[in-house]
Amino acid sequence: MSQAKSHALADTTVVDTDVHITVEEETVAKYLEEPYRSSITDSPHAMFPSSSWDQRMGGKIDDHFSTFTGPEDVQQFQSDFDIDYPIINTFEPLGKFPQPDLAMSLMRAYNDLLLDQFLDDYDFLGLAAVATQKPEEAAAEIDRLSNEDGIVGIYIGTSGEYPPLGDPANDPIYRAAEDNDLPVVFHGNGDEFMFDFPHHNKGFNNYFEVQTLGHPWQQMATMSSLLGEGVPAKFPDLNFVFLEAGIGWVPYMMHRMNKIYRMRRSEVPLLEKSPEEYLRDQFYIGSQPLGEPNTSDDMKRMIETLGADMLMFATDYPHWDFDHLEELDKYLQHYFTDAERQKILYETPVEAFGLSV
Amino acid sequence: MNDHTVATVEELDDGDRKLIELEGREVALFRIDGEFRAYTNWCLHQGGPACEGSVTGTSTAEFDRDDLQTDLQWCKEGEVLNCPWHGWEYDIPTGECLSKEGTKLPSHPVEVNDGEVIVSL
Ligand code: FES
Repeated sequence: MSQAKSHALADTTVVDTDVHITVEEETVAKYLEEPYRSSITDSPHAMFPSSSWDQRMGGKIDDHFSTFTGPEDVQQFQSDFDIDYPIINTFEPLGKFPQPDLAMSLMRAYNDLLLDQFLDDYDFLGLAAVATQKPEEAAAEIDRLSNEDGIVGIYIGTSGEYPPLGDPANDPIYRAAEDNDLPVVFHGNGDEFMFDFPHHNKGFNNYFEVQTLGHPWQQMATMSSLLGEGVPAKFPDLNFVFLEAGIGWVPYMMHRMNKIYRMRRSEVPLLEKSPEEYLRDQFYIGSQPLGEPNTSDDMKRMIETLGADMLMFATDYPHWDFDHLEELDKYLQHYFTDAERQKILYETPVEAFGLSV
Repeated sequence: MNDHTVATVEELDDGDRKLIELEGREVALFRIDGEFRAYTNWCLHQGGPACEGSVTGTSTAEFDRDDLQTDLQWCKEGEVLNCPWHGWEYDIPTGECLSKEGTKLPSHPVEVNDGEVIVSL
């Protein structure tokens, strides 16, 4: 049980840009082609690699994750958390799988599962999982899904991705997303830190250190690669969404990339304007996990720097570091106008994802 | 202030807790070292149901500058309440938040009278 909800929320339409459904390995196996299905159901060797960090600290933090598996769980969450439109994703980062064909098969299986169990019979919005190991096949998958009701974007885990995501090898994916009016959503992962930063993963002594850096390092690498390769200039009608690294890293990257761009413009001639302008025109940032400055004015300045046209609300439910809406809303209600609040909770995601809700 | 009889003394052993609703508010009664404590079930972080979390101990550490050793100790076993949402820790005897200095669970006066536990709100 939890205490009564805040009352301002009752009158606000809220889009949550990051809701993860938990998919058991045996569940996705049912949607997989052979031989991969048997790799899950019949093999004693775990196919899904995982680090051994204990994210729940021996039970100090509740596990909401393993029980959040079905559409009724999403509906319960909507009513408990006052969320009108959850944008759900199947979460599993696919970049970590070394076998390209397995990754392709998993991509299609997750998407079939998403349609079959969540989107076909319910009003939810969802993101199509994309694996980048075979970009042309990924592009075909984007084409296949683009006509499905409820699919409002494509979802790429930024952990375990090699080469970095702006690499021209991935252009077929970006072109297909742009052709189908679907934004590209990037999402990092703490547990998968070991794939991108194996030395640090082994060197750090506790998960505090890994979790502090995992998401922002993966997202910074992705953002830097996208700008450095001119991806937003190549695909000017494409929107890019970054989830789950909070917001403080974005002003830093924006300003730093401006500076380096001005010193090294000839190295990135596809860019026709400053990195900040590309970010402000085509990039959108999910709020979670909102940082916790000791002085709330500091958060006000950060939200202002990003602006209501770029910032969107996200819970990241049911993961252990999810944000309740009130965390962001206490700043919005205190420091910002109703119109700005309305943008961040509703209008900006509607624009970023092209929602007709 | 209104007094509410919320339990009998025998009802709770040491280490037990009871969740109750008083005047529309969720309150938790804890019994620890023979004493009763009542706190609002509302985490100071993001409003999670703190009083429903696991009860454990926690770690402290001391660093000895001379021999450069860190001495880790598990302490307060049975006295630390962990909010189930994100793990903020609260000291059950005092209500103090161990995760953020200067923060406390809202508490309510408790009295024992004639074998009955009375919480004032
Ligand atoms: S709400 Fe209690 S730890 Fe976050």
